[in-house]
Amino acid sequence: MMEKLTSMVYWTHFVSVALFGLGLLGFLIRRNALVVLMCLELMLNAVNLILVEIAMKTGTSEGIILVVFVITVAAAEVAVGLGIILNLYRIKKTVDLTSFRILSG
Amino acid sequence: MKEMIFALFSIITLLTGAGVVISRNVIYSAFNLVLCFFGLASLYLLWGATFISMVQILIYAGAIVVLFVFVVMLLNFEHSSERSQNFWIILGSGIGSWVLSLFLLRVLSNTLGASPYQSAAPTNLRTVSKLLFTQYLWPFEVLTIFMLALIIGIYLLGRPESEGTQS
Repeated sequence: MMEKLTSMVYWTHFVSVALFGLGLLGFLIRRNALVVLMCLELMLNAVNLILVEIAMKTGTSEGIILVVFVITVAAAEVAVGLGIILNLYRIKKTVDLTSFRILSG
Repeated sequence: MKEMIFALFSIITLLTGAGVVISRNVIYSAFNLVLCFFGLASLYLLWGATFISMVQILIYAGAIVVLFVFVVMLLNFEHSSERSQNFWIILGSGIGSWVLSLFLLRVLSNTLGASPYQSAAPTNLRTVSKLLFTQYLWPFEVLTIFMLALIIGIYLLGRPESEGTQS
């Protein structure tokens, strides 16, 4: 039982960290605004996985509550972000992030 | 056996997560994102967090990805092939994410890997909801006000141009 749980813990750490790294990489190198939002979701989900693991391993409920809050805020962030992307597309007819240089002079 | 299933779903999650990043087409990224969310939901299920698993499927795979696909459908991506980023930016981002991931893995193994297991009182939905409505009531209420502000903000962002007084 202990051995099995330890292996699951290491798999969870590996998956969470690798998912966070993938999300960060995509956030930095992709130029499509929609894919950048998806990579933000990947990073939030990596953190959720660690929180669930801590909550389940220690038998406390605070991690689950924090995951519920994170999911709500992530849904809000996606809704607002997609609204902003739609408005930007209305102005510029593209979602390429490098083409938005209005503020950089 | 459970460990093998866990490893299988972990690999599925990681592969589809990589598919989100490297897909050239946005709609393939969205489909990979759905699969990644399902893989994460099964990982939650294997950890025993059934409520979070169902919420993950309902909200993430059911609502958020539908929003993404809907926006991909609204915007016309037929002839907008994405140019690839500058080589040095890709190299620097890759090295940076890799080093940060190694650092995080090290920190997690050092802090959480050695923590004791106290699975005596399993976390179930009853205790979670009891905490949510007693000890964490104020954050919960703040979240509802936040959602109200969100609805108003999205309406202001998405209303048609002819209706408002946009300049």
